Amino acid sequence: MSARRKRFFRVPWRTARQIRADVDEELRFHLDMRVDALVALGLAPDAAHTRAMQEFGDLDDARRYIGAVDRDIEAAERRSEIMKDFWHDVGYAARKLRATPAFTLAAIVTLALGVGANTAIFSVVNRVLLQPLPFPQAERLARVVYTQQGHGDAGTPMDLVDNNAHATKFVGFSMMEGTTANLIRDNNDAERVQGVRVGANWFTLLRVKPIVGRFFTEGEDKHDAANVAVIGEQLWKRDFGADTSVVGKSVRINSQPYTIIGVVAGDQRYPITVELWMTKRYTAQESSDGSRGARWLGVLARVKDDVPVADADAEVTRISEVMEKQFPEQFRERRAHIKTVQQYLTGDMRKPLLVMLGAVAFVLLIACANVANLLLVRATAREGEMAIRTALGAGRARLVRQLMTESLLLSACGSVVGLGVAKFGMYELLNRAPQNLPLVAGASLDGGALAITAILAVVTGLIFGILPATQVRKDDLAAALRAGARGTRTRPSANRMKRVIVVAEVALAVTLLTGAGLLLHSFTNLMSVDTGFRPEGVLSMKLVLPARTYDSTATRNFVRALETRVRALPGVQSVGVSDNVPLDGSGNDFTFAIRGRSHVRASDEPSTAVRLVTSDFFNTIGIPVLSGRSVGVEDQPGTAKVVVVNRTFAKRFFPNESAVGQAIYLGWGRDSTGESRQIVGIVGDVHDAALADQPEPIVYTPMMQTPGQGLSILIRSKGAPAALAAPMREVVRALDREVPVYSVQTMEERVGSSVGQQRFYATLIGIFAAVALVLSAVGLYGVIAYAVSQRTHELGVRVALGATADRISRMVIGEGLILTAIGAAIGIVGSVVAGRLVTTLLFGVTPLDPVTIGVVVGVLALVATLASWLPARRASKVDPLIAMRGD
Amino acid sequence: MATKPMELLQGTLDVLVLRTLAWGSMHGYAVSRWIHQRTDGVLEIEDAPLYKALHRLERAGFVSAEWGLSENNRRARYYALTSAGRRQLHAEESAWRRYAEAVFKVLEPA
Repeated sequence: MSARRKRFFRVPWRTARQIRADVDEELRFHLDMRVDALVALGLAPDAAHTRAMQEFGDLDDARRYIGAVDRDIEAAERRSEIMKDFWHDVGYAARKLRATPAFTLAAIVTLALGVGANTAIFSVVNRVLLQPLPFPQAERLARVVYTQQGHGDAGTPMDLVDNNAHATKFVGFSMMEGTTANLIRDNNDAERVQGVRVGANWFTLLRVKPIVGRFFTEGEDKHDAANVAVIGEQLWKRDFGADTSVVGKSVRINSQPYTIIGVVAGDQRYPITVELWMTKRYTAQESSDGSRGARWLGVLARVKDDVPVADADAEVTRISEVMEKQFPEQFRERRAHIKTVQQYLTGDMRKPLLVMLGAVAFVLLIACANVANLLLVRATAREGEMAIRTALGAGRARLVRQLMTESLLLSACGSVVGLGVAKFGMYELLNRAPQNLPLVAGASLDGGALAITAILAVVTGLIFGILPATQVRKDDLAAALRAGARGTRTRPSANRMKRVIVVAEVALAVTLLTGAGLLLHSFTNLMSVDTGFRPEGVLSMKLVLPARTYDSTATRNFVRALETRVRALPGVQSVGVSDNVPLDGSGNDFTFAIRGRSHVRASDEPSTAVRLVTSDFFNTIGIPVLSGRSVGVEDQPGTAKVVVVNRTFAKRFFPNESAVGQAIYLGWGRDSTGESRQIVGIVGDVHDAALADQPEPIVYTPMMQTPGQGLSILIRSKGAPAALAAPMREVVRALDREVPVYSVQTMEERVGSSVGQQRFYATLIGIFAAVALVLSAVGLYGVIAYAVSQRTHELGVRVALGATADRISRMVIGEGLILTAIGAAIGIVGSVVAGRLVTTLLFGVTPLDPVTIGVVVGVLALVATLASWLPARRASKVDPLIAMRGD
Repeated sequence: MATKPMELLQGTLDVLVLRTLAWGSMHGYAVSRWIHQRTDGVLEIEDAPLYKALHRLERAGFVSAEWGLSENNRRARYYALTSAGRRQLHAEESAWRRYAEAVFKVLEPA
């Protein structure tokens, strides 16, 4: 009863001291009453007092006990009142929000978009950049990366020897060599599996445990060790039905017998795309100083648990400096650094992902600004209600708490809907994400995402709730009361705040739109880059011949037979074979010397990419022959060795003379004969690794003269190229059923996926910018429309005094455009800063691209005009009679 | 029957207080007097445990308390039974009756 009574007639909370005083008073009353009664019965006052005390018993104990009980009661009542107030506020807020469904819906949708987008992007960032890879002490697991004379370099087998000899801050080092594996189990067809050859200590460094069986033991990378392999969990489930008896099973890998010894968990694989691990055995030549010039290996390292990673980094750098002194020729300006495996894997994604995170944060800020504006409008309309509640005794703090409860309830609803938006967004995002973005596929709406949503809900609620709450003031509530509960009175400060919010919104939108515009512009630039070949109608695929069964002659025969059979397929116009597909960028570079020029030091020799091609390669893929001749059918093992070079090669190395007729020595193991190769033709450039890269020099050698086992087959089709995939597989199967075909794609698909990341980021930020534009247009519309409705009286007077409809609407639109212009000006300053941040993501545009900024400002002006035009039209139709009577 | 007043059984005081307040709201002194008069001094009840019981019952939600004016115009704390207290009294009363009946059945000559 007392708690309910306090609801209506608030009794101030009692302090501990007041409680003590109350207890004393109650007990004194008892004793006084008793003494009075005893005196009335005839006792002397002293005797009466003694008697009363005797009857009472332990007074001090009672006082202490009662005081403690009363403090309990007080605290419990306080708690229950706070909870009751809270639920009362929530109930009241819910009723208020239900009473204005249009406002509530608009606010919830706006917030849901903002929160949902942020949750989705955060989930991806969380997975890719924040969550450590699932290895014990993953932050100490590192790749050793090398650069030489400023260019990226790989490891040599001798790096392992050097590091093991000198390093003290590492648990150990292990080398890896990427390989494709043709895996055959039982009597099934060969399957191409991504494999890797590693040191025997590989899994020891990773510190992972096998799901089944065991990993490599020391010595299993020695020359005479048995062939053993570890498989990944996915492969185990896919091909071996997750049967534990897989351990000890014999399979054939690249035409050699292997025994499977263990299975590694799917998320503990390293490298993360690999499914098959074998040990790397070095030849005597590879593990001698002679191999210091050959760089093709990856280096994994684990830093000791008690050593700072920075110290370990300094150590490998120091070792590389020491080794340069010992081998100044091969190791000239060669430096080593370490990158944690996570940095190594996701380093390229860091920037774009953070930019996306910034973009969604902008969207959320704009959404908050919109809702704050809506709430301000609402607060003005509710001044009458607030005044009445104040008059009835509600304190300012109480009203602010009520308003904040409404804001938080709104943001909570928005966030719940936002989770739905995030779920949908994640689904679309993961579907559209290019395959080559590592870790992205593993992103999900997990506990971290839910936590961030909850934080966003509270933070956004506070951000947009605090402004309307500051509008609650005691001093002018009397005025508000006089104006009545209609709430038509306007406070100038509230209107000013609405305008400031709109300006901020426009500024944010301009910054975001400029960023998006720059990325979209970069993307269109990229798409319009000339690939240098004609991708339409061309199908491509890869296969790898096992080196054990295919020597040069066998490879030649295979390629000849393949070309003959494919050419005979219906619908095939031509077929070419190479060791690489353009845009794949996985070729090797070799140093070379030009015949007739003075000898230079080995480390100063120029280098070039080398490709093996058959005679029909150029016309099949559509690379034009610019001068001289192409590789011909006559270029066979017995004939003079020839090469064809690309235009960049000719220009760079023969700037003042014709390259055709010159000869080069390729610094290639196969060229140890010292025989020179004559340049017989020049062909057009292709973008070898990526469209964004400048064409690099390429030397094409006839595949018949220098065959290689890794083959890329290109088929120009008369019809749809994809239809040739099945018959092509049959042809290869008929030639050798142990050789699987993989990476079957049309060249158009390859071109598309080569810009997949750029397309992905540009699309994402484009969507965010579009949402931002719509939200800020709605915000602008809201403010102008509200201003018009507030000025109905004034506008009526103007019309009555002779202002034309045209003049009135110009005035209103003008107001909208002024706000837009101020916002745009601030936004452009912001986009200068933002442009700097995205510079590295741009292609063919500068961060201050005038075209982009011009288009953004133009679009915004258009949208702003439209947003102001609707209220302007209403303003111009104001009937002066009604407007003035309504006041 | 012994001439010395009997000690109170554990929990008995609560029932007595609740029963007393069932007559209407009254202050602690009145409760004390009421119980003394009703028990004819047979039970030895000090006032300290009585007040402790009153506040304990308030914490338990069986009685509510508020300040009011006494018959001689002094501020006094008045206690009243809540509906929860009324239910509690009911339950305790019937438990007591059953207990007492059982004891009597043993004590009375067959």
